[in-house]
Amino acid sequence: MHDAIVVGAGLNGLATAAYLAKAGRKVLVLERRAVIGGSAVTEEIHPGYRVDVCSHDAGWLPPVIVEELSLESHGLTMLQPEATVFSPACDGPPLTLWRDPRRTADALRSRSSSDAQRFGAFGDQMGRLAGFLASVYESPAPRLTSTKPAELFALARLARRLRALGKRDMIEFLRVLPMSAAELLDDWFESDTLKGAIGGAAISGVCHGPRSAGTAFVLLHGHVGNAGRAIRARSQPKGGIGALAAALAGVARQYGAEIRTDAKVDRVVVNKGRATGVVVRGEEIAAPVVACSADPRQTLLELTGPSHLEPEFVRAAQQIRYRGVAAKVNLALGELPRFSGITDDQALRGLISVSPSLDYLEKAYDDAKHGGVSRNPYLEVTIPSLLDESLAPAGRHVMSIKMQYAPYALRDGAWTDDRRAALGELIIDTLAEYAPNLPSTILQQQVLTPEDMECVYGAPEGNVDHGEMALDQILFMRPVAGWARHATPIDGLYLCGSGTHPGGRIVGGAGRLAAREILRAGSKKRATA
Amino acid sequence: MTRYDAIIIGGGHNGLVTAAYLGKAGKKVLVLERRHLVGGAAVSEQIVPGFTFSVFSYVVSLLRPEIIRDLDLPGHGLQILPLESTLTPLPGGDYLAQWGDADRSRRELYRHSPKDAEAMIEFGRLMQHMAMAVKPILGMMPPDPTSMSPRDLLSLAKLGKHFSALGESRFHWLYKLMTMSAADFLDEWFEFEPLKATKSASGIIGTFLGPRSPGTAYVLLHHYMGEIDGAFRAWGFAKGGTGAVSEAIASAARAAGVEIRTNAAVRRVLVRDGRATGVALENGDEIAAKVVVSGLDPRRTFLELIEPKELPTDLVDAVRRFKFRGSSGKVNLALGELPNFTCRPGTGDHLRGAVSISPSIGYLERAYDDAKYGEFSRQPYMDIILPSMIDPGMAPPGKHVMSIFVQYAPFNVKGGWTDAKREAFGDTVIDTLSEYAPNLRSAIIHRQVITPSDIERVTGLSEGNIFQGELALHQLFFLRPAPEWSSYRTPVKQYYQCGAGTHPGGGIMGASGRLAAMRILGDKAA
Repeated sequence: MHDAIVVGAGLNGLATAAYLAKAGRKVLVLERRAVIGGSAVTEEIHPGYRVDVCSHDAGWLPPVIVEELSLESHGLTMLQPEATVFSPACDGPPLTLWRDPRRTADALRSRSSSDAQRFGAFGDQMGRLAGFLASVYESPAPRLTSTKPAELFALARLARRLRALGKRDMIEFLRVLPMSAAELLDDWFESDTLKGAIGGAAISGVCHGPRSAGTAFVLLHGHVGNAGRAIRARSQPKGGIGALAAALAGVARQYGAEIRTDAKVDRVVVNKGRATGVVVRGEEIAAPVVACSADPRQTLLELTGPSHLEPEFVRAAQQIRYRGVAAKVNLALGELPRFSGITDDQALRGLISVSPSLDYLEKAYDDAKHGGVSRNPYLEVTIPSLLDESLAPAGRHVMSIKMQYAPYALRDGAWTDDRRAALGELIIDTLAEYAPNLPSTILQQQVLTPEDMECVYGAPEGNVDHGEMALDQILFMRPVAGWARHATPIDGLYLCGSGTHPGGRIVGGAGRLAAREILRAGSKKRATA
Repeated sequence: MTRYDAIIIGGGHNGLVTAAYLGKAGKKVLVLERRHLVGGAAVSEQIVPGFTFSVFSYVVSLLRPEIIRDLDLPGHGLQILPLESTLTPLPGGDYLAQWGDADRSRRELYRHSPKDAEAMIEFGRLMQHMAMAVKPILGMMPPDPTSMSPRDLLSLAKLGKHFSALGESRFHWLYKLMTMSAADFLDEWFEFEPLKATKSASGIIGTFLGPRSPGTAYVLLHHYMGEIDGAFRAWGFAKGGTGAVSEAIASAARAAGVEIRTNAAVRRVLVRDGRATGVALENGDEIAAKVVVSGLDPRRTFLELIEPKELPTDLVDAVRRFKFRGSSGKVNLALGELPNFTCRPGTGDHLRGAVSISPSIGYLERAYDDAKYGEFSRQPYMDIILPSMIDPGMAPPGKHVMSIFVQYAPFNVKGGWTDAKREAFGDTVIDTLSEYAPNLRSAIIHRQVITPSDIERVTGLSEGNIFQGELALHQLFFLRPAPEWSSYRTPVKQYYQCGAGTHPGGGIMGASGRLAAMRILGDKAA
């Protein structure tokens, strides 16, 4: 018999499995699809062309996980482009931000000497504030109202870290979190192009615009783990995002975990308030611990069932906001598209961000707010084959385009094939304004609506973070208030996906903390037995 | 020459409260008001003979009960009449009414949504608990969380204890209220759009945010914090208009020996060796005092009344980025007859309460969309009352006054607020309202249109922000108006602040004024 079953072989499921296996537990991972990775998959969309079809940016890979699981020895190599953001402007030349802040400052000087001068300080401050956030993300979610000594101790440690930021940064941290990204960026900069280029990161995965309060937090969340001052710096796993999943799976297997694909879990078996196993295609597999990396609502209300839960808890789970707003277009390209205003491809190796101003982003959100697809959408584009030649035949390329906003729930009916086709056209047309030869270079294209993201990759309502990363849905509120420590009201059933603390875009963050909780509860049980 | 213990700059309601408390403590106090009457944004004026308008601020509910008691405001003529209902007319000819009588409200809501009528019971209970949880904070001086001083640490510990005493569940609800959007919060409870919109509207008043923006849920609480005679949830209207509130406080102040001088605009605060010594008036007079207290907003308090060189650069930066962004205007009407609402014809008791033009969240968001890009809302949110229905003295017999609070009207409107723009704004308001009350236009005897620019010009409130700075989460409590200076003190010795730009700010609450007075007395400054 297995000690634990992990449902879902996404990055967090695999991390949970790896940590449990490393601690000597006998683990079985069950994955619905034929491939592992969840939303972190690199698939062939055209013979010889491999692209990160769903998520193209895994977010922060915490060094503590790389170290604890020795991921580098499992073949993980991260590629870091010199360019961070290439942002075409509405009128005038495009702007490129670089990993080296001095180079960015040089690029900014012609637009605004004040922005050039302040850019470094902005990056420094974001780095310090995000550094504090990182330490919060590496620890279990705080419990603010508990008076237990252990909790108070943990809180005191957190408070000490916050105070260690120093007076000015500490206040800045508290002040910035609830702000809108527009307010924050207006405080610092004057160039619309620069604010747009940074602002794209503030709306990633949320159904809010840069003028909505709380988007400064989204910006900060996206900045966690960015070494030094580089804004929106991206690292790309060699071989594609799927290499992350492969490395984590490698660790899990090394410690004896079994990973079974094409194994869709129909339900979690609950006996007398205890999870005792799962049913896969009619077959029951028993285990005293079930860790589920599907989103909380699916885990609790579909795989388990409200009859096992208190009505209050069911209500809280039903109210988790997902509201996916991102769509994807993946392209196989016969040649590199030519972007206006640049001569070589260096600038294109980071993110290409179609976000010429904050107003542009806000207007894109306005459409979505009223239930429509953005007429002038925000695009976040990568050409991973520029850094990694293994992804496409020589001289050819793959392109991944994340688009916002395409609301999961449309005002006027459901997503249809026609709507998907129109969405693809809109995205290509939008990008073609900045790279006119793009359409002629396309060999193959794949369009994914938020609904496709849900059906194919299990992202609830198309939200790959398994719950909007908003202030009221993080820390002790994630996934539901009071249940942020991965355990659920059902004994033996744990949540280990992005829907739990510390949330989306942190590779294995939730999995690591969930595994710790499972091991802690296990050793406690053994001690009392 | 009299030597004053304290000079209060600005005779707004907070300045008057500070003055009254200092006067009661035996201090010799002088209040200097630029205009010909006291009250600031809480004034009643006869714009047309016989018709009295609460020109700017128009409802009272948050006035702290301890102030009413301490200053014996009823004894000085304050009388608050309850506003008992809210009517939301709907485009299809129906309406939603909420009444002071909970049973009647429930029956009405049941007509639209049985589920919402059920949910309302629990919602009301929760909000009341939340209001109770927040109230003590409104009456406390914000601690500085970065300070290591025993006083601040003790205050922080007290705050921590207060929250942990709430229990986990209530703490989480409070946290949700602080961080969520009004729309999302209400979506968790209700399904009937006009109900959600009308409730969420209170969350956008005075801010430059739409109901879907996080941070707007918190203000929902204010509706449950209003306290008249100890009864929760009541909003009221002061007999004689909101100016009567200012008059009552002024009268209490005078009774305590305070001298109030109108038509006395202060040009700047006199500072010598980092210490305030008095003020210089526009007319050149200089008046000395031990303490100078500014009731003006933070921008004027720190950047205009004194030289920025007297201040640390951090504070100057913080005040410069303090968000005002006035977003509301006002239309005051003298009416020959009552408006006849299509959805509820005649002159029933619905006209004794508020009328809210807020048919859906989408409507409010669209109103906000216009403002975001520099236009006033083509179809604005409006909060309307007919003071003469509650207080017949406000208009000649058979005639009426109507107060229309309008949002959004951005201070920085494209092309600036010209006379033509002001009239266009007024027309939009009347056109929109006429859709619900077609006889309105012909009933108008006189119309006064007030833009954010007018609010700034007349009352001095920067950018026309009615709260002396947006009530956004990053501008509250120990961040209001700036980190380290939420203590009512300033870096200039003997110079204090007492306006709504300090904690807790906003509304005719008087709490800032009272806490400032307590700080000054505690410091033995005056």
